[in-house]
Amino acid sequence: MTGRLLRRLLLGIVTIAGVYTLTFVMVISVPGNPLQQSERNMPPEVEQALKARYRMDNNWIYFGQFLKGAVRLDFGPAFTYADWTCNQILMHSLPVSLVIGLLAILIAVGVGVPAGVLGAVYRNSWLDGAVLGVVLLGISLPTFVTGSVLLTVFAVYLRLLPVGGWGTLAHLPLPCVTLALPYAAYIARLTRMSMLDVLGSDFIRTAVAKGLPRRVVIGRHAMKVAFLPVVSFLGPATAQAMTGSFVVEKVFGVPGLGQHFVNAALNRDAGLILSTVLVFSSLLVVFNLVVDLLYAWLDPRMVDAL
Amino acid sequence: MIHKLVLTCVTLFLVVLFINSMTFQEPRADLTYVNPSDIHTLDPARISWVQDFRVALNIWEGLTTWHPRSTEPIEGAALFPPEISPDARTYRFTLRDDARWSSGEPVTAQDFVRGWRRAMEPGSAGDYAFLFNDHIVGAAEYVRWRHDAIGRLTSLDRGGRPAEAEAFFDEHAVELEARFAQVGARAVNERTLEVTLSGPCPYFLDLVALPVFLPCHPSIELLRERHRGRPLTPAGLVVYDPQWTKPDYRRLGYPGLITNGPYQLRDWKFKRRARLAANPHYRRADTFACRTVEMLVYDNLNAALMAYEAGYVDFLPELSVPYDHELARLSATGLRRDIHQCPVLATYFLNFNCVSETVNGRPNPFVDPRVRRAFSLGLDRETLVKRVRARGDRVARSFVPPETISGYAPPAGLLCDPGEARRLLSEAGFPGGRGLPNIIVLSTQSDERMCQAVARMWENELGVKVELQTKETKTFAEDKARRRFFVARGNWYADYNDPTTFLDCLATGNGNNDSGYSNPEYDDLLRRAEEAADAASRAAVLARAEALIVERDCPILPILHYTEPIAIQPYVTGLSPNARLWFPFRYARIER
Amino acid sequence: MSAHRRAIAGAVFLMSLTGVGMLALPVAMDWHNVQDLESAVRHPPSWTPVMAPGRFLSPRDQSSHKELVWRLAHRPVSWFGHDDLGRSLFYRLVLGFLISLAIGIGSAALAVGIGTSWGAVAAYAGGRTDLILMRIVDVLYGLPYTLVAILLEIALSGPLTVLMGEDSKAAQIVILFLAIGGVSWPTMARVVRGQVLSLRHQPFVEAARALGAGPLHILRRHLLPNLVGTIVVYASLVVPQAILQESFLSFLGIGIQQPLPSLGRLAADGVHAVNTFVSFWWLLVFPCGMLGLTLLALNFIGDGLRDALDPKSSAGLLS
Repeated sequence: MTGRLLRRLLLGIVTIAGVYTLTFVMVISVPGNPLQQSERNMPPEVEQALKARYRMDNNWIYFGQFLKGAVRLDFGPAFTYADWTCNQILMHSLPVSLVIGLLAILIAVGVGVPAGVLGAVYRNSWLDGAVLGVVLLGISLPTFVTGSVLLTVFAVYLRLLPVGGWGTLAHLPLPCVTLALPYAAYIARLTRMSMLDVLGSDFIRTAVAKGLPRRVVIGRHAMKVAFLPVVSFLGPATAQAMTGSFVVEKVFGVPGLGQHFVNAALNRDAGLILSTVLVFSSLLVVFNLVVDLLYAWLDPRMVDAL
Repeated sequence: MIHKLVLTCVTLFLVVLFINSMTFQEPRADLTYVNPSDIHTLDPARISWVQDFRVALNIWEGLTTWHPRSTEPIEGAALFPPEISPDARTYRFTLRDDARWSSGEPVTAQDFVRGWRRAMEPGSAGDYAFLFNDHIVGAAEYVRWRHDAIGRLTSLDRGGRPAEAEAFFDEHAVELEARFAQVGARAVNERTLEVTLSGPCPYFLDLVALPVFLPCHPSIELLRERHRGRPLTPAGLVVYDPQWTKPDYRRLGYPGLITNGPYQLRDWKFKRRARLAANPHYRRADTFACRTVEMLVYDNLNAALMAYEAGYVDFLPELSVPYDHELARLSATGLRRDIHQCPVLATYFLNFNCVSETVNGRPNPFVDPRVRRAFSLGLDRETLVKRVRARGDRVARSFVPPETISGYAPPAGLLCDPGEARRLLSEAGFPGGRGLPNIIVLSTQSDERMCQAVARMWENELGVKVELQTKETKTFAEDKARRRFFVARGNWYADYNDPTTFLDCLATGNGNNDSGYSNPEYDDLLRRAEEAADAASRAAVLARAEALIVERDCPILPILHYTEPIAIQPYVTGLSPNARLWFPFRYARIER
Repeated sequence: MSAHRRAIAGAVFLMSLTGVGMLALPVAMDWHNVQDLESAVRHPPSWTPVMAPGRFLSPRDQSSHKELVWRLAHRPVSWFGHDDLGRSLFYRLVLGFLISLAIGIGSAALAVGIGTSWGAVAAYAGGRTDLILMRIVDVLYGLPYTLVAILLEIALSGPLTVLMGEDSKAAQIVILFLAIGGVSWPTMARVVRGQVLSLRHQPFVEAARALGAGPLHILRRHLLPNLVGTIVVYASLVVPQAILQESFLSFLGIGIQQPLPSLGRLAADGVHAVNTFVSFWWLLVFPCGMLGLTLLALNFIGDGLRDALDPKSSAGLLS
């Protein structure tokens, strides 16, 4: 088991290295000058001096230098925000995104799984239809629409919650719910699908034949197996939710990490792009590992697949 | 059992993260305002955004400052007016006795020289560093000498000759002070600063209020990068630790940011808020009605406006929401007295590509001034500004906004005349628009609506086919710099209160001359204005130069002069709308 | 309503919309950018046309269509109101719907194309090829979707606009579905690989190999028909995802460029239309409604296809 874990970790590191290289190649091939921060044209000597200072005049030197720094967890300066280093930016935005992401996933699982189970058990009844309808609404409207509507209704018209920003408990519900909706919808669908599969299998038939009460059969036996696809979906989904959704942050004014992906890309800020991408892929590797462990624990048959 | 364990762990983790990311609620500041997108930089040598001006000029004070309503230069850290020599080339500023840093020490002339020197140095890469080169005697030569040395050091280093590089480095560092002494900014004594200009500059007192001329506390020297005992980086650049602008930075004994303005920076949380507190050592600080000012960051202006409506925000200096036409209407009809319009010294215009032979393989018709004039005549600016933009901006027929700079009256410009436009086009060889290639119009997202309307108008009136290309900011800047357009949107915000800030843009070879316009007659007129005997004749020459641009050659097509709406809660007094969007917070009073 | 009926309803909805769209396409192409800055700016919906007919078509707009369409073009429609520039929202929605659908289907096609070949080759070849190909997929998974879409879009727009020359309208659609399809194919690759792995050891494949069939032949004649079910199911998931991604890119400002509309762009523009200051509800309701219904229909069709083609889905004992 430990051997397999180590192997996965090693593979993960290789993946992260690959991600770094690929992102680097993309960043240097996209047109645009990261050093010019306003619309005024920068005098060429100044540009030269700055490029020399940040070692950006030679791409491969920059590649190696950034990597060396990244290993020491020092990601260098950010051009998008001149007075802050990438480390400071990450330190300020990552916790916010982590909180929103984790809460959103918890809400999504807490709402989606029961909804899916209900839909599967009472298949084709009105309950199934209602659940499916609401659930499909979650994936049929873009997040900026649902977010803006929720903000307008709850914060502007009803004045129940603050209008965006971050700092108190009251700032949590709206962004987390908005972020959770598409995930909840997908999880509900996934749960329903896999529950339907499981309910038709042999061991369930045996359990029913043995006379076990319905609640136990569904709750304990069926759930364990039906939950597997959800778990494998949750891995990358949690990483994605945690590194923030740009839309939620933009609509609610939350100082999270997602906006930095977009702003850094639009500003061609190599350091910030590379550091955020490294954070994202590390989170992904970690969560995939966690997911595989959970998988193994839930379904012992799967241990070999590790 | 395991579920419970996992659940507890996750909850604990969440709680810890939560506490980490939440802020402790401080009592509400006396004045709360919104700054979308956070401060870009607080380094005075590099500031170029209006939002940063707003914070920097409230926490620092230059030799002069701006009047809260008329934005004319008034007394700042130095006595006003300074001593000016008869040939208007030497200024002697005497600092006030009560000019103090937030740590209590008096502000000295050396502090100003230190700040100016930082801004001049190539390593700072400031947008306004050109002001030193243009006006202060000896500055351009000093900067050129430094550029050459840095270039030489870089090439020696790259060429693998370290011993030579080190030798040159030492030699260069030794010469540094002697060379700088030849620049026309020196501290005669602790309280007197003498500035020598390279030519008469009637707006110099206006200039020194800009952040690039702010003083710098001596403690910043603790954070200077050194190499081999010299105050330079190995590449020869002058670099300070960029964290010096943080109030809580303590590395190497640095006491944190020390400033000399009415307020000091108490706290700055990235992308969330910044808090200013009254500087106890500033003169009459105890008479300030607003002792604390909070700047909130709201990326989404719509949410900011909603927060203002809900009463969380006292003052909104930016209101560019998608429905701002409605706000302008409410303000104009008097239904919302808290929304004010600030007529700003800025112009939005279209650049014509005056210089390229071909663009993307198509021949460029805009090298012919008749074609440019035709396109200018064929645009209905009234409808554009009143209907499409509908924000209360002023229609522009000249480059410099009228009735803004005292003593200067810009020319009348061209009126919309489609018939004349069509006649000119035929005269230039394109009757009915035939023979013209698809006109590429380059725009950014913020004004694509305007550009769509412009494109449509030209298609209807002149019979041309227009291809609108909306690019995001960086790609746009690159395409504009490479002249891959026929027409490109542009705007210009005045740096100082004088027509030359606009007119210099179109001089031959100017870094901001996007159209590539080059006319020796125009350059000559600008030169003559510099040497003019008095203000009246200078204004006349400049008006003639501007008439060349807006009436005859038309390298640019001015469309509107910006009018920015701001919102001030009715219980806030002391902040008035003005042309520079300048809001000194010490005059604000809250009557809740 | 059972899943089957929902799928049929969704399919009918989409077909009819597409049909209406195609019929109205020539007129929509003419009218989607006709601006009436005098009287129609932000005009609420009305039965009678608000724009004065005829005046707004410049000489270049008058295309050579039949008399009926031409007469239709002289009666601009104001049923869905007008937008900021006085353009008829109805025509913009029609064109937007078609463009969004085109982007969705294009991205799905690209994702299917690349993903299927990648996954099938990896699974069939096995060994080191499989390892390398799948590691590449892992690396691509490790990149944030948003970032890659933005960078791809920026990188592609330059060369493609030059390549496709004068008519840059089609270029935009191509760029977008290249960018979106280019980030969606890894999932497809993984799924196909899984399927081919399980099919590889089936007796009929062994038999084919014993008979001397080459790998390409086996892939094409034997494996592909069995993959069709999975491919169709996942493709039907990619289409609504792609349309959502496009709306997200439009919200950022780098999706379909004006004056071309798309459902996502219209929804992003309409989001600020309702608040305490203004209430241009038609700018919000119609685009978002249309977007929502389209995605709903696509999702229903996907569900129906899965129920029909996925052999494992069955009725349970406990339902």
